[in-house]
Amino acid sequence: MAVSHVSSNSLSLNDRLYAGITALLLGAFLVFGAGLANSSVLHDTAHDTRHSYGFPCH
Amino acid sequence: MIVKYLLAALVAGLFSGALMTAAQEARVIPLILHAEEYEGGEAAPAPAGTEAQPEATHEHSALGIGAGLSEIAGYLSPVSVAYAHGGEAHDDEGGIMFGMSRFSGTLLANLVAGAGFALLLAGASLVTGNPITVANGALWGAAGWLAVHLLPAIGLPPELPGFPAAELADRQLWWMATVALSAGGLYLLILKDGLAAKVAGIALIAAPHVYGAPQPVDLTSNVPAVLGAEFAVAALATTLFFWIVLGLSLGFANEKIAKADR
Repeated sequence: MAVSHVSSNSLSLNDRLYAGITALLLGAFLVFGAGLANSSVLHDTAHDTRHSYGFPCH
Repeated sequence: MIVKYLLAALVAGLFSGALMTAAQEARVIPLILHAEEYEGGEAAPAPAGTEAQPEATHEHSALGIGAGLSEIAGYLSPVSVAYAHGGEAHDDEGGIMFGMSRFSGTLLANLVAGAGFALLLAGASLVTGNPITVANGALWGAAGWLAVHLLPAIGLPPELPGFPAAELADRQLWWMATVALSAGGLYLLILKDGLAAKVAGIALIAAPHVYGAPQPVDLTSNVPAVLGAEFAVAALATTLFFWIVLGLSLGFANEKIAKADR
């Protein structure tokens, strides 16, 4: 039962979880940087984007 | 193999972020610029198309030493201090990265946010074992929009510059918790079978709203209410467009890139 046939994208369960968790962490890091990070430079650069996406801003 | 799935997400995210930038210019950005004229307590006579001289048109009430300093910095530095909001204490100086224009900053932020949301969507698909395809991409996108935009907007509607709001850190914490709970709730509601999962899903989605979003004590604002209503609808419509494009392009990229040489 080492190989999972749950998903149709033919990755092993381990590879799928590894890829998925990597994607989640990397994605959360990017979204945090663009939308939430408390740095003036990031805030000012992303200002209009933060408002447009409805991120809490200011 | 794993890298291909991440690459597919990046391609879809950058594509959607670029389209999002174009969509924002239609309605959302003009409303932000309009609202900034009212921000800071004085009716600044700034026209809407202000990208040309941001220093001159985005100064808000120059109260306090901090605002005065950033004003001086604005003249000395090639980097624009366009969004130094009046009376707000920042610990570093601010200004748009690399001295880019306001539009370039927005484009860059949209590309980063697009890639980030694409990776989150791809990650959710991989971890739960439900592949995103062209056929179901729009539904994945719609679920992402519900979790990240519509459900949090029930407590914290998209806000314009100059709107009254509670403490930023409280709102950000509530927002992140709501996005996470909504995403978990939607997973249970849509992808899990059984009555218990559906009920638990609804409970997770409702929980942050029962708890309540942080609200400002004082609701008065110089920004006209009509602008706020127009902006909330425009922001939600624009992000829905973004997520539908993202879901579809991620489905397409998965089929083209991730499964290319099999």
